[in-house]
Amino acid sequence: MTIEDEIADLEQKLQTARNRLNPKPSNRPIGMANSSNTSALHTLLLLADSQLPLGSFAFSSGLESYLAHHRPSPLSASQLPSFYNFLRLSLSTLSSTALPYVLNAYRYPNTLEDLDNDFDASTPCTVARRASVAQGKALIGVWDRSYRQHHKGSLDHVESVKVLSSFHKSLRHGGIQGVEWQSNGHLAPLWGIVTLVLNVPLYESAYLFLFSHARTVLGAAVRSSVMGPYQAQAVLASSDLQNQINDLVQEKWDRKIEDAGQSVPVMDLWVGRHEKLYSRIFNS
Amino acid sequence: MTNPFAPSSSKPGHGTIKLALLPPSTPILQTLSYQYPLKLISPPPLRASNSSNPILIHAVYLLTYGGGIVAGDTLDLTIHLARRTRLTLLTQGSTKIFKSTSRDIISRQRTTVDLESSAALCYLPDPVQPFARSAFEQTQVYNLRGGDGSLCVCDWVCEGRSARGEKWGCWRYTSKNEVWGVNEEGKRRLLLRDNLLLEEGGLPDDGFVGRMDGMGVFGTLILRGPHFKTLAEHFVSEFALLPRIGGRKWDAEEEKLSVEEERRVMRQEQETKDGLLWTSASLRGFVLVKFGAREVEGAKRWLREMLIREGTVEREFGERALLCLK
Repeated sequence: MTIEDEIADLEQKLQTARNRLNPKPSNRPIGMANSSNTSALHTLLLLADSQLPLGSFAFSSGLESYLAHHRPSPLSASQLPSFYNFLRLSLSTLSSTALPYVLNAYRYPNTLEDLDNDFDASTPCTVARRASVAQGKALIGVWDRSYRQHHKGSLDHVESVKVLSSFHKSLRHGGIQGVEWQSNGHLAPLWGIVTLVLNVPLYESAYLFLFSHARTVLGAAVRSSVMGPYQAQAVLASSDLQNQINDLVQEKWDRKIEDAGQSVPVMDLWVGRHEKLYSRIFNS
Repeated sequence: MTNPFAPSSSKPGHGTIKLALLPPSTPILQTLSYQYPLKLISPPPLRASNSSNPILIHAVYLLTYGGGIVAGDTLDLTIHLARRTRLTLLTQGSTKIFKSTSRDIISRQRTTVDLESSAALCYLPDPVQPFARSAFEQTQVYNLRGGDGSLCVCDWVCEGRSARGEKWGCWRYTSKNEVWGVNEEGKRRLLLRDNLLLEEGGLPDDGFVGRMDGMGVFGTLILRGPHFKTLAEHFVSEFALLPRIGGRKWDAEEEKLSVEEERRVMRQEQETKDGLLWTSASLRGFVLVKFGAREVEGAKRWLREMLIREGTVEREFGERALLCLK
């Protein structure tokens, strides 16, 4: 051991001993010092909560209809492989149809009216439309009744908050120019603008949008007895799901609204035919 | 030496169809121009056989040299329908999309139709057939100037050359249908967008067959306006009358069926045999019908049963509008 090493070693020991004698404030948990960090974390936790009152539990996004179209034979056979396929397709569909609207509403909040109209024009069936509008209206309701009063700072989003408020008003009072010109309240564009005013970073907003969808579909799978809750949690925790969500967000990052569309055409058939199920536990 | 002729206004692949109304009520084909590789042919106009208002109906065949679209072709068709005119657009056999030498060489077709008030378009083409390793994008834009234009437009695509074992082996296929409302001041608002995207990415690289659930053909039928009102209602009511999925018939007693009911049951049994699934939805002034089937033949059989037996298309546009279902 050289003399330098010995000195370094002794200094290290001295430092450790001093720390034990007199703990420094820097030993507080990482991140606690920075209140803006926890406020971002807090917002994310609110939005990621499955108890967020959007009523998402009522929708299976076509899963129920898909299962009815793919009855296993024999009936006792597992529907799991078939479910994994559905989840993959469902995320792909959501990212090609709805995600561009999330991204664009976040980037260009004052185009909310047009985005809402164009999304409505691009939603080909009443079942999907009902599901999207129900959750979108609930989200703007949560904003209005629960979040807005606590939304102080960030003067950067004053304009966007105004856009949201006037959109909310037009939703409640209906349009003035006849049926085709009404506001609808679709989830995707509203998710974009609400996460913007809540200061959620764009990537996280998009990731959470897809993640929440996966969580909702998995929840529906558990309630349809396709899998148990531990298995569902394992899927949700898997790196496969993480990778797929990351890939989808990156792929659609610069997608224009006019190039959003259906990547899985049979999905429209399953979702549309949900109305024809003999027995239903979900609304979509 | 300077060219003594005025420069041609037509560009490769461009075509123009203009229907005008000669007062008081005679529609005439004012313009019909096209450039290689697009070819437009117009047979003599017909009077719809038993329409209440026997107006002349023009028809135009959309053709391409070689019966298909070669890699790198760009077609651009512009159509203008003056008020109260009616046009039938037809194809002769499926539009083949030939294979491309590389993924970056994409063929394109763009069709823009302006419909003035009370004009009507019936466009029931044969399905598009993208060969393995082809790349194709098409866009159809319908501008409704004045509120009550009528549309009956079908857009369908199949898996490729099934006989050669091709199953969705194309590199890229996208088809977009847009309907815009245009008011007097020229302000546009999107009424409907139907966009099918088969493009790389989004899903693991297993071609497109992994997302098709065994279907070999998909289609969308867009219906709007007074001319197709009864046809649109027919789709909505037949969808409502489809048997419930997963339901059981507890009452085994044979009921006495009317002729119409019997045909319906036969059609529904055929749907099951052909693996045909369909939905219809009433939204934003449209009835949008989506269908998929194992094979083109099954989808044709179903469309024939739905369109020909119902009768609106033939009554309003004549028998030849249904040529693609023959």
